[in-house]
Amino acid sequence: MTEPELAEHSSAEDGPAGVTITGLHKAYGDNEVLKGIDMSVRPGEVVCLIGASGSGKSTLLRCVNRLEDPNAGTITVGSFEATDPDVDLDAMRRHIGMVFQQFNLFPHLSVLENCTITPRRVLKQPKEDAEAEAMTQLRRVGLEELAQRRPDQLSGGQQQRVAIARALTMRPALMLFDEPTSALDPETVGDVLAIMRQLAEAGMTMIVVTHEMAFAREVADRVVFMDQGRVVEEGPAAEVIGDPQQPRTQDFLRRVLNPTDVDIRD
Amino acid sequence: MALTTRDRARLSLGIQAGLFVAVLIALLFIMDWSAIHRSFFDIERIGPMFPDIITVGLVNTLQYTAVGFVLGLLGGTVLALMKLSSFPVYRWLATAYIEFFRGIPAILVFLALGFGVSIAFGWNLTSLQIAGSALGLVASAYIAETLRAGLQAVPKGQVEAARALGMPAWRAMVSIQIPQAFRIVLPPLTNEAILLTKDSSLIFVVGLTAGAAELTKFGRDGINIYQAGLTPLVAAGACYLIITVPLSILARRMEHRSPRKK
Ligand SMILES: Nc1ncnc2c1ncn2[C@@H]1O[C@H](COP(=O)(O)OP(=O)(O)O)[C@@H](O)[C@H]1O
Ligand SMILES: [Mg+2]
Repeated sequence: MTEPELAEHSSAEDGPAGVTITGLHKAYGDNEVLKGIDMSVRPGEVVCLIGASGSGKSTLLRCVNRLEDPNAGTITVGSFEATDPDVDLDAMRRHIGMVFQQFNLFPHLSVLENCTITPRRVLKQPKEDAEAEAMTQLRRVGLEELAQRRPDQLSGGQQQRVAIARALTMRPALMLFDEPTSALDPETVGDVLAIMRQLAEAGMTMIVVTHEMAFAREVADRVVFMDQGRVVEEGPAAEVIGDPQQPRTQDFLRRVLNPTDVDIRD
Repeated sequence: MALTTRDRARLSLGIQAGLFVAVLIALLFIMDWSAIHRSFFDIERIGPMFPDIITVGLVNTLQYTAVGFVLGLLGGTVLALMKLSSFPVYRWLATAYIEFFRGIPAILVFLALGFGVSIAFGWNLTSLQIAGSALGLVASAYIAETLRAGLQAVPKGQVEAARALGMPAWRAMVSIQIPQAFRIVLPPLTNEAILLTKDSSLIFVVGLTAGAAELTKFGRDGINIYQAGLTPLVAAGACYLIITVPLSILARRMEHRSPRKK
């Protein structure tokens, strides 16, 4: 890695990044998954993305760090033009942390190595510095005693907390969460949500895809409801969740908040 | 008469055991045991084969196999990466190579290197060079397919997580995908080593000097030298088993200790 890239990386510590998405389209073959998304997130803002399965939430998130290539539209993340064909994708991704539903910890590495491999191999940090930073982040998620364990020796909730710590060791300016608690046993969900709440309070910019409406209501500055590839409704959490205006939003929230009603309505 | 399932199972077992004992007794009477001893297990007469069959034969077999395996790993890695490349010409070339060397008998490759090369280019290759490169050429094709399958067996989310952290594609491959694929391919690679050990015997088609003789050559020459029937072949076979059985046990252990979940 070259010197300018290193310099660029340290600029991430200047603070949280904003995100601007305009006219975003994405199709898989004939299947148009995102049909013109406009959305912006201010630096330090927490936005929860809600909507039925298949509505395009993951695809939208994955376009932001370019794990997917959009067909049209522009995305900027902080000073990075994500949709610019010449953008340095690796440098941009170092500013964007992503947490997956399935954790995706590296099973051949210890918890500590999961957190140090990218700082060491990509940012060329000395081993001691990378490990000190990793321990700081593991302490933040309450798992410093498990640093030497393998991921498969951890519960799902612990694995997800390691995944968050791993992302934080890169000092990201934006964090993307794709249903971080959907694969967890109910009793471990709270620990993960508590860490995300701390992160939000510390001023991180966050886009969170979630079905945890209580979390969205309490932590999100704004809630965006998506349906069939479009943003249908957005606004302050209390308004969108507490008093939705669009019939599709009302319908979705009724199903999520009262799962037993579904049979009656269908 | 109604038999329960358990009675029937016991009866079936009894019949099988009875048959086995009957055949054993018949063999004891029919077979000429002293002839069998003379033809296959005349250990006293082949005494002079030792220690050379071990210090020269076994060592040469191991050397030919090891060189072939290392070359096969190198070639197989390159071919596997070519097969997974986004550049179509690489994919075609790798496919052609793999199909060719998996489709022809290995003995043709030994003959080509043993005789063809010296005729065509005037090079005089040593036995180690011929056996090592012939085995390496063939093993590359098989190992390439094993490695490709191993790389593709690593879950997609692993490379995605690495790229999302900001690793360049090559770094994600080196630090994340290859180490995990390596665990997956260890058992099939061990099996490949067993096949190569046996195929190293093909070097005898190009003729071997005394110092270069491997196990099969020892066994074959021994038949003429010692007047001990096929006992030298049995000795050579036992030496192969000394190499291959531990490998086989190792492969089975690694298969059982498969760490993958999810
Ligand atoms: N890699 C892919 N190839 C083809 N279709 C895809 C792919 N990823 C997602 N899709 C399709 O895109 C649509 C939206 O998917 P997704 O963004 O995962 O929705 P959500 O996260 O809201 O459940 C779905 O219909 C899904 O089948
Ligand atoms: Mg999804």
